[in-house]
Amino acid sequence: MDALIAKLKTQIIEQLNLEGVSPEDISPDDSLFGEGLGLDSIDALELIVLLEKNYGLKIENPAEGKKIFYTIRSIAEYITANGKA
Amino acid sequence: MKAFIRGIGQISPQQTFAGDFLENVTAYNTNMLFCIDPVYKEFIHPLQLRRMSRTLRMGVTAAKICLLDAAIEMPDAVITGTGFGCVEDTEKFLLAMLNNNEQQLTPTAFMQSTHNTISGQVAIMLKCKEYNSTYVNRGFSFETALLDSLMLIAEDNAHKVLVGGFDENSFNLHTTTDRLGHWKKEKTNSLQLLESKTPGTISGEGATFFMLTDKEDENNYALLKGLSTLYKPENENEVEQHVNDFLKRNNLSASDIDLVVYGLNGDARTDEVYYHLRDKLFNENAGAYFKHLCGDYYTSSAFALWFSANAIKRQVVPQSVRLGKAPSGALKNILIVNHYRDINYSFMLVSQC
Repeated sequence: MDALIAKLKTQIIEQLNLEGVSPEDISPDDSLFGEGLGLDSIDALELIVLLEKNYGLKIENPAEGKKIFYTIRSIAEYITANGKA
Repeated sequence: MKAFIRGIGQISPQQTFAGDFLENVTAYNTNMLFCIDPVYKEFIHPLQLRRMSRTLRMGVTAAKICLLDAAIEMPDAVITGTGFGCVEDTEKFLLAMLNNNEQQLTPTAFMQSTHNTISGQVAIMLKCKEYNSTYVNRGFSFETALLDSLMLIAEDNAHKVLVGGFDENSFNLHTTTDRLGHWKKEKTNSLQLLESKTPGTISGEGATFFMLTDKEDENNYALLKGLSTLYKPENENEVEQHVNDFLKRNNLSASDIDLVVYGLNGDARTDEVYYHLRDKLFNENAGAYFKHLCGDYYTSSAFALWFSANAIKRQVVPQSVRLGKAPSGALKNILIVNHYRDINYSFMLVSQC
């Protein structure tokens, strides 16, 4: 799980072009949207594509997406639960 | 139609964003010129910056510098002109489509690949809900944006217009247009561009914004007194006649022009018309050129206007741009003569306020 979290942090920083943010700056339990990392709806679309492209996971239910993208740990758990880690 | 130039902001392959007026110019030994970047974080919030492509950063920053320079917070209109728009984002999006078989496409590059991204972003940044327009007319893009600005002011529909021209260079764009014979085959020292007598020129880029206003003010740079365009003239005589008519409409003659700024770009196929004008009309006038500093691109006439407004305000013609003799007296009237690939000809008259 730790290796997957570290990999996800790097992929998210790269995909969302989070300039000046290093993997160490992001806690796996920080909320990604709102108060935490401050991501927005466009970032959510980027994350959906990231999951599909890199892990072959399609998120079609918006309500499900809210839960999955809550933190980096929740994304890692979703990937693991679907056997894509 | 006329308007005062109150403020200017420019990002270019020279250090033009920091108040330098071509005292120390940068030479390039490549046929592709790219802008010298300021520290964008000083102008744009990091959260906005991370999603912006290079041209968007250049354009928004040039607009911000212009607004600060003009000490005007809210324009009555935002108008831009661009030949190719946001090229890198377009390329990024199209390449992603190809590489991913039209699947798994991300939104950012697509959203920002549209030509009106910069005028839209500037308006969002300022919360400006006034007139907003972008013109994409190849070598007339900036001129059309200027024309619209002048008309808004002349018809009393706006008093402060933020108008800009921008285009960005890219390796893909350069390679594609190289196949069409646009650029020199041999590497050229940019500062010796006019010594090259071969076909083609060097590609460039830039983002330049002006604050145009109808209000007289001691801080104004200059007066944009006239603008004219000519599409695909048949020969040099037609251009000469057009210049004569343009000067006449502005109650001037060739001898009233203190400096002629030529769009010479070192292309042996298309520079002749400038030399024709110099020989026939402006033999006694001081001259200048500018494309060795910024390269050639659709909206490079904005660089010429930036130069001319500064020259009028500072009463200086830097050594790096002089062509032939230096001006002998005060700079009261500057004529810009430019063409893009012998197709889009434009003429601007910049005068002392």
